[in-house]
Amino acid sequence: MTPTYQNFRGGTSVGDLVKEALSIGWPLFALLACLFVYSVVSVKDGAAKKRALFKVFIGTISALLLMLAIAHYKGSFYEANRMLPVSLVLITTTCFMMGIYFPNHAALFKIGGFMFFVAAGLSGYGNWLPQVEGGFPPAEVKLDFASMSAQQLADEGEKIIFGGIGKNKEQGAVGKGQCPLCHAFHAGMLGERAPNLVGLPARAGKERLEDPKYSKGKAAGRDYAQKEAFPGAGTAENGQEYIAESHACPSCYVVVGYGVKGSNDKESPMPSIHKPPISLSLPELAAVDTWLYLREGVDAPTFEEIVKSYEKFIPEADRPKQQEDKPAGGSDLMADGTETVDVIFQKAQCVACHTIPGIPGAKGTIGPALEEGTNALLRMKDKDYKGSAKTVPDYIMESIVTPSAYVVKPFPDNTMPKIFGQKLSAGAIKKIVDYLSQVKTGSPPPKIS
Amino acid sequence: MGRVAGKKLFSIMALCAMVGLLLLPIAVSLPSLAMGADAPDAVKKDGEAKVEKGRDVYYKTEGIAIGAPAPKTVDGPRDYPRYNFESRVLLWFANQQHLYYGSFVLAVPIFCMVIEFMGVVTKDKAMAKRYDQLAYDFIKISLTAYSLTAILGGILIFTFLTLYPAFFGYLSGIFRPVMHIYALMFVAESGTLYIYYYGWDKMKEGFLKWIHLSMSVILNVIGTLLMFLANSWIGFMMSPAGVDEQGRFLGNIWHVIHTALWNPLNVHRILGNMAFGGGVVAAYAAYKFLASKTDEDRAHYDWMGYIAMALGVAFLIPLPFAGYWLMREVYAYRQQMGITLMGGLLAWLFIIQATMIGILFLSTNYYLWQALGRMRGAEKYQRYIKYLVFVLCCGYLVFITPHTIVMTPAELKAMGGQQHPVLGNYGVMSAKNGGINVIITTTILSFVWYMRGNKVSTVSWSKFGNIFMGIFFGCAYVNIIWLAIYGYYIPANVRVGLSVPQVATTLSCLFFMFALNTAMMKGAKQMGAIEWGKISVRSQYALIMLATAFTWMMGLMGYIRSSVRLFWHVNEIMRDNSPWAYTHTVGFAANMISFNVLFFWVSILFVFWLGSLGLKKAPVEAKAGVPGAAPQPAGGH
Repeated sequence: MTPTYQNFRGGTSVGDLVKEALSIGWPLFALLACLFVYSVVSVKDGAAKKRALFKVFIGTISALLLMLAIAHYKGSFYEANRMLPVSLVLITTTCFMMGIYFPNHAALFKIGGFMFFVAAGLSGYGNWLPQVEGGFPPAEVKLDFASMSAQQLADEGEKIIFGGIGKNKEQGAVGKGQCPLCHAFHAGMLGERAPNLVGLPARAGKERLEDPKYSKGKAAGRDYAQKEAFPGAGTAENGQEYIAESHACPSCYVVVGYGVKGSNDKESPMPSIHKPPISLSLPELAAVDTWLYLREGVDAPTFEEIVKSYEKFIPEADRPKQQEDKPAGGSDLMADGTETVDVIFQKAQCVACHTIPGIPGAKGTIGPALEEGTNALLRMKDKDYKGSAKTVPDYIMESIVTPSAYVVKPFPDNTMPKIFGQKLSAGAIKKIVDYLSQVKTGSPPPKIS
Repeated sequence: MGRVAGKKLFSIMALCAMVGLLLLPIAVSLPSLAMGADAPDAVKKDGEAKVEKGRDVYYKTEGIAIGAPAPKTVDGPRDYPRYNFESRVLLWFANQQHLYYGSFVLAVPIFCMVIEFMGVVTKDKAMAKRYDQLAYDFIKISLTAYSLTAILGGILIFTFLTLYPAFFGYLSGIFRPVMHIYALMFVAESGTLYIYYYGWDKMKEGFLKWIHLSMSVILNVIGTLLMFLANSWIGFMMSPAGVDEQGRFLGNIWHVIHTALWNPLNVHRILGNMAFGGGVVAAYAAYKFLASKTDEDRAHYDWMGYIAMALGVAFLIPLPFAGYWLMREVYAYRQQMGITLMGGLLAWLFIIQATMIGILFLSTNYYLWQALGRMRGAEKYQRYIKYLVFVLCCGYLVFITPHTIVMTPAELKAMGGQQHPVLGNYGVMSAKNGGINVIITTTILSFVWYMRGNKVSTVSWSKFGNIFMGIFFGCAYVNIIWLAIYGYYIPANVRVGLSVPQVATTLSCLFFMFALNTAMMKGAKQMGAIEWGKISVRSQYALIMLATAFTWMMGLMGYIRSSVRLFWHVNEIMRDNSPWAYTHTVGFAANMISFNVLFFWVSILFVFWLGSLGLKKAPVEAKAGVPGAAPQPAGGH
């Protein structure tokens, strides 16, 4: 649960980069040294010796550039990866240089250089575009929906649909339910793939149920891909049941114009919401429906009534449990990595003991202030340092997982719990490491993400 | 006489051996499949009451669950053992390298088959020998790459077994018979390839040559089947079938193979491999051209580069259409998956893809225009190239303009809506389809110009033919652009349907205009020779650009296809609970793709070098026919 990453941060000095390059490329440099000795000792002809030495010189510069590029690539692999094309440009330069001085293999070097240049361009393009990172799969939190008030239930529903309270007017906001990928929720917004859900509570019980195609009370008379949700389920008798049925069995009735292409509106493209990949539990569906009512100023049916309406269309065996599919051990996690870094600091209670610039409420004094962008390098060089980290992110990771690897004076050892490796997900630790490695003494705190 | 009979006997025996190798996997796998069919009986014998039925998640048929459910993995050393590095990245690397080499060695024998066939049917003896030598050169390149493909396959399996044991265990449990057939097919492929390669000299004439040619057909049938089987695994991971909701195998192996996305994946991959193979061989030829010391060598490799490029592009042209079919099937299978790809999390990657497609076609056109320069009499077309550049650029700009894209709230606010106030109007699907179709049609036009570069038609109806061709191209452009504009005035779901007439227009240009041009150029008057080897050095960099861009795009599309599963090992069946169940940033993916591309090219250059170590001198008579030695007939296009 505690992967460490071989990082070499963007903030590292040029000296460190050169050191890293030398440590990676020493066999190559040793070979060049041998060539140098050979050229001096064995080549007798003056002009040939001069030429050979010049080539060794060019070769050494090229090798250094190449190794710098590799060291930079290695160091920036995870964190400052937007800088990686720089490595490729360095290699391009190296290739063309070698091509000039080694005419016998010029074609190979020039082609290689050109390929590196093209790759640098494409990598640079990829890094220039807005960086979207898919978060970790949402961990389910056990909520007691049954004891919530209607408003609390609606708030949870809004979270499931849009990912947060108050996000329903934000374009592009999508929650676990993924509804806004296809549906629109406000008047005037065009739902091209699925109906706009404005006015659904009023429409469901009248317009829809009265549609002859719905065939209320006569499931066998339907002309759709599915006659009923499961044998014996029947049809909806009221508006809420219609909503429940449309979630559980989207192909039992399809609004005109929204069927699967080529199916003549007999089959719906919508998945059953209680099944994977969405797998909302019945209480979660109740929360979603409650929001649909309340946001229009309509009283929602009670939680029990809504759950009962779903039970009519979803057989016992198909009802997802609220905690099903949850990553094992997840229930014990303090943070799963889906939170912003300030929330992770709060949840892991780091703020109680540490002062962390930029994090609200992090004014603790039981442990050292966490300005790791400045301090980590100094601490790794300290003679009392017992850990194995070579880079700032590694050091931070190590401090979280095995705090005794280095104890900052004058704070006592064994004060910080050694449980965070198990209690924080890899994603959460990564976020902490990302943040802390950018915190530098005297500099403004980094942006919270 | 006895010698010829001996050769015939040898050839027939070789052919029989290959057919035997081809049938071997099926014969061996029969007991395995039969066991699968017996399994329910075994269950019944153990206890009548214990028979559990399941419903196929895709085919909706009922079956007896004979497999174990998909394991619910736990992040830890049992399910996700690891090094001090991200396992997913290691797997990504191993997989991509294997795929690059696999694609190359599957594509090159198809080229060999086509070129060898051209050699057999060509009446010009010198030309026939040149084609034969070229096909031999191709297969020689792929032979060294072949063993590397197998080694990389081994590395990939070990990476799976050691880093993702639970997932691989589940997958191999379901695909057990398929995996065995796959392994045996690989044996058959190796055997056929070696007989094909080493039998080249022994079977170079007459009936024996046809036997040899038919071996290449068998070789390619096996290769294609191998790829189809491998595709069934990725198809299953994306759109599982043949299992119930818990992931239990229901006994029908065909359902597991024949998933919703299997067919479009197969078609897309065949075309992609061919385009990629063409790119790699073209880059090889460009390298040899640039490194050549003599005019004779330059002429040979110029010609080789041209043929490889033409074959690659011939498969590149239908590739976007196969891509549309695949995406259509993705949308039909799971709408959310399609939206995640085209308008959600992965949408920016499609912008890169569009850019890459544009680069590929621009490079192709640039190469063709440069190639006109080595053709005496083609000067008349040079002055029109600027107009083609203009048309291509317009099509390209429309093609890469996005319509809807994932944005942060701040970006949305800054832009004032999900669509850009100006650019947002241009990115709808029919317009983008219009853009790419204009690009492809222009590429076809470039090819037509190239084919008639140094010729003047002598057929009696040439004037009518030229006018008809001009009107046909004109109408094609008008139709494509008109439909692109018309798309703005109709709803999105109707607009999607416009792609059909647009594509049909482009394909009509491709087939009818090529056919018409060929008919018109029959017995045409030569204005000058094609001076092979006199092409500009820049053109060779266009070929290298083409090859690098192909490789990069293949890496990109593989990444997109794989990451669309998000946090599922097997979509909706087996969840990924490793610490890497998130999608990387676009930049990280771009860097990783670049790394894979460059690693592949560095290693394949090494393979080329290895190939040159054992270089056999071309037969004297073949050398005599090498272009450049004397002016060649333009039929050598």
